Amino acid sequence: MSKDTNPKEAQIKSAYADVNKYGNNREYDKAIKAVNRILGVAPDDQTALHCKVVCLVQLSKFEEAHKFIEKNRLTSLIFEKSYCEYRLNRQQQALKTIDDGIVQPLPPNLKELRTQILYRLERYEECLDSYKDIIKNTSDEYEDERRTNLSAVAANLAVDKNKDVPDVT
Amino acid sequence: LTPDMEPIPCKPLFFDLAMNYLELPSLEDKLESPGKKGASITG
Repeated sequence: MSKDTNPKEAQIKSAYADVNKYGNNREYDKAIKAVNRILGVAPDDQTALHCKVVCLVQLSKFEEAHKFIEKNRLTSLIFEKSYCEYRLNRQQQALKTIDDGIVQPLPPNLKELRTQILYRLERYEECLDSYKDIIKNTSDEYEDERRTNLSAVAANLAVDKNKDVPDVT
Repeated sequence: LTPDMEPIPCKPLFFDLAMNYLELPSLEDKLESPGKKGASITG
């Protein structure tokens, strides 16, 4: 093989540099164009396929992202698939996608998403337990927001006058 | 003639924190410079 990088490889490398640059700047409309350049010459590039899904979701194109995942059989993208379903208001399916994924124990991203799905499904008691577990085991920059969510769960539980208001302090 | 005001529960604030986990995959192995790669192959 020649010592020079072949043109296709150089094209892919340069496109990835753009994906990286625009991704870091959160300019996903530009990033997706660079991703499409990669997929134009390497349609099975798994990293590029993953990038395209993330860009579509970041651009709120949930339906398109979901179809893209299914069409390309991107079975490893459980989080992205379930998140699309969550945003498309298909909560039962979103929960099933996670629970059928046989990832145990759930990594933080799937655990967070699953808890939000439980909230939308109004399964508040499970949701409360799940948030308590996340809060106990997480230290990140979103602890205040997570406590706000926990309060929202408690508020919904408090609507039922037959039950005690859970202690979330 | 307007009915009396009465309090109703407000919709609690609820954040989408899962969205923060939605990131591009690592592109590290896709970004290494051609020069660097060539050097490692030829030693």
